[in-house]
Amino acid sequence: MKGRQAAGVRARGRQAAGVRARGRLGGWLADAALILYFVFALFPVAWMLILSLKPADQLFSTYFSFTPTLESYRTVLGDREGIPFTRFFGNSLVVSVGAVALSLVVGLPAAYASARLRFKGSENLMFTLLSFRFAPELTVIVPLFVLYQKLGLFDTYVGMVWVLQLITLPLVVWIMRSYFADLTPELEQAALLDGYTRTQAFFKVALPLVKPGVAAVSLLAFIFAWNNFVFPLILTSNEAQTVTVGALSFLGGDRPKYNLTAAAALVSVVPPLLLALTIQRYLVRGLSFGAVKS
Amino acid sequence: MRPRPALRPYLLVLPALLLTCGILYPFGLGLYYTLFDFSAAEPQPDLVGLENYRTVFTQDAFWNSAWVTVLYAVGAAGVETVLGVAVALLLHRSSLVGRVLEKILILPLMIAPVIAAIMWKLMLQPSVGVVNHLLRPLGLGGVQWTDTPTGALLSSIAVDVWVYTPFVAILALAGLRSLPASPFEAAAVDGAGWWYTFRRLTLPMLWPYVLVAVIFRFMDSLKVFDIIYALTEGGPGDSTVVLQIRAYLEAIRFQRYSFGISYTVVLWAVVYLAAAVLVRSLGRIQRKAAEVSG
Amino acid sequence: MSIALRGIRKSYGRTTALDGLELDVRDGEFFCLLGPSGAGKTTTLKTVAGLERPEAGTVEIDGRDMRDVEPYDRGVAMCFESYALYPHRSVYDNLVSPLRSPRHRLPAAEARDRVGAVAGLLGIGGLLDRMPGQLSNGQRQRVALGRVLVRPARAFLLDEPLSHLDAKLRQQMRAELKAIGAVRRTTTLYVTHDAVEALALGDRIGVIRDGRIVQTGTREDIWYRPYDTEVARAFGRPRINLLPGAVTGTGHFRSADGAFGLPLPTRVPPGTEVLVGVRPRDVTLTGDGHRLTGTVYVTEVLGRSVEVTVRIGGQALSLVAARGEAAGLRPDDPVRPAVRPENLLVFEADRPGRPGRRIERR
Repeated sequence: MKGRQAAGVRARGRQAAGVRARGRLGGWLADAALILYFVFALFPVAWMLILSLKPADQLFSTYFSFTPTLESYRTVLGDREGIPFTRFFGNSLVVSVGAVALSLVVGLPAAYASARLRFKGSENLMFTLLSFRFAPELTVIVPLFVLYQKLGLFDTYVGMVWVLQLITLPLVVWIMRSYFADLTPELEQAALLDGYTRTQAFFKVALPLVKPGVAAVSLLAFIFAWNNFVFPLILTSNEAQTVTVGALSFLGGDRPKYNLTAAAALVSVVPPLLLALTIQRYLVRGLSFGAVKS
Repeated sequence: MRPRPALRPYLLVLPALLLTCGILYPFGLGLYYTLFDFSAAEPQPDLVGLENYRTVFTQDAFWNSAWVTVLYAVGAAGVETVLGVAVALLLHRSSLVGRVLEKILILPLMIAPVIAAIMWKLMLQPSVGVVNHLLRPLGLGGVQWTDTPTGALLSSIAVDVWVYTPFVAILALAGLRSLPASPFEAAAVDGAGWWYTFRRLTLPMLWPYVLVAVIFRFMDSLKVFDIIYALTEGGPGDSTVVLQIRAYLEAIRFQRYSFGISYTVVLWAVVYLAAAVLVRSLGRIQRKAAEVSG
Repeated sequence: MSIALRGIRKSYGRTTALDGLELDVRDGEFFCLLGPSGAGKTTTLKTVAGLERPEAGTVEIDGRDMRDVEPYDRGVAMCFESYALYPHRSVYDNLVSPLRSPRHRLPAAEARDRVGAVAGLLGIGGLLDRMPGQLSNGQRQRVALGRVLVRPARAFLLDEPLSHLDAKLRQQMRAELKAIGAVRRTTTLYVTHDAVEALALGDRIGVIRDGRIVQTGTREDIWYRPYDTEVARAFGRPRINLLPGAVTGTGHFRSADGAFGLPLPTRVPPGTEVLVGVRPRDVTLTGDGHRLTGTVYVTEVLGRSVEVTVRIGGQALSLVAARGEAAGLRPDDPVRPAVRPENLLVFEADRPGRPGRRIERR
């Protein structure tokens, strides 16, 4: 009796070991596949780093072994080669921050109203905003191109901040609506009965509780505004031009300056990347417009 | 005086409403322009009715652009879906490698698409690009990546895949992590195999999450602009002239404003239609997923 | 302060929450609103507070129409069933919140004393530095109650303020609640689904069902003169016996299966289908009254007394007997329980969706 039991245990042990071995092999394959994907995902960035560190005379004669130099960064950030890259960088900063600020000021009350108060036309407004997210940009930009020239908004900060609302406002309103909707209205009701006005209830109770959402949506909106290309391409020429368009200008000219292009590209992706790492946790909700919560 | 309660929500959404109108105005203006033959060469435009649209639909160039756009969108969204879900499944196993790599999953997504296209343009350069250099040992040194029609389209799709696969993966991973455990435990008790579990449980319950991602990706890639502008500018020939690039060329390059906008209006209609169809199927699939998990 | 609701209607989408609700709460009284979940209790409270606007009907406080009066101007304090504590503020900040508001502002030192007094009263003085997330449900409920008591109010609206406490604490708090001076003096509208609580606390009780008040009255009114079978079922444990049958030609009651008859205290037309109600505590094993013949089905000890379920033909009749009386009873033992006709309640038979009304004594 005992012997049979022991044999059974041994057999199960062997079986389990077999499963584990198969599992381990599968694990290795899975890890290998993952690594393969991440090589694909990371190599371009690594290669840009390499290109940006190459001296101009080794640009086309070498691949992986060369004498590294920071000369490209000095050129790009020193605004040499006739391209005012630092100003483009500053412009990106100004218009992105401006666009996010305007969207928050305008979008937070709207998001709150549509999450809390049932009113006619609320859904229409929300879907109009959502449709901006999916509208081909040129439908709006080309008329704006004509309009801005007349109004003197072409190539200005104001013009850029305005048009960037097309991207940042729907994001702010939709995501913040989902955050407000998650908040029980009884908290603000309690504040009303505590003796606060509706405005005070919003600022003292609702807003502090969605602060993480506000932070996440601001950063995400900033990133999208920063990364936008087609608006500044068409609606700016020099004064208000941003990094995304600026980086492209290093490719122009008769001699391609790959090292400078790579340096400019890398410098221009630093702000969004740094911000993205700080909002990892909230990213899912942001990217899906509040449709998917994690 | 205190505002009447019924007016309160409208007061809150008023700023957003004004901004929305500010964006809808150029859109409406654009629609209006399409009824004229407005261009830089024709500053005193005449009313031409639907002539612009008639021209659009009778042009071979339009049908070519439409075809290229559909190929691009289907290709990019398709590959991103499969690859993204695969990456999500691999990361969901949460091996040590996976946990480390997950932290940098979003990297490509936070890089401006135009910058990504610039990076790949440098890498895919036929004679000095690093991709051909790496392929040379395999006897594939001289691939004309962006200089052949098929190559250019595939290369553009590849850049899109590079940037946006993490988008699908992040949403799918969030979906995987929020699936209820009990159906899987029941399947494990019943001794169901990996494939069966995947086909019958994981996939149907995951679909709603994936479909949100697919809708976003498909509609976004219908209006692709940045990547193609930086990578191929629509070339060689007309092989990668997607609709927004065509609209750009007509409206901005050749300054035929009315005609260019007509293109974007048609594209807008297509995107809108696609959205309606996809959103409806999302509802259906969400109901089905609820049945499986319930 | 008196509260009057007149013909209040409120619906959420297609579901009607309040359907022409009428309610009068008198100045200074402790009024219990009793009903099952979904009956419209919370909506009623929120309507009084001004947090929900009714589609029809008026809310009057001290005879004044409250139509355009904001919640913070109505002078009522409300305790939410969900507690509605501010999760980002400490217990102290939660308690002091009303005293920092423009409406009820007190100098900081006075506010601190006031919070200290209320916290002491509720036994939460040691929790003031905690965050709501670190409290047990019972503690949260007391903080929520404290936030209501800390400020001057013309009326308290309490939404199931004891529901999340465990049984022992609930009993203790129930006793304490009515002893609190402020509560004793102030009009209180108290919502509960627990009939025991309503009977213990309410000066008057309103029974709410499907968005309407079914019956309002003192505990005696509700207990001895329930409006219909459902109100009768809601009060009293063990539940009231409701025996189906019909009225005979001689004005007596005959059970549906013909197993027994009873004299009725009320004149009811012969042939009427009725339900005869008798509370288990009004049926005795040894006392006098009309005797019935049956056998013991099951006995269950309830502390000092015993619930005995007796089978009479196809009917089950439960009664509560002293422990001594019921000692030695075994299933299938024959017994002869007694019922006094004056303790019988006569109801119309239940119909689907309409519980049987009580037939008035004449």
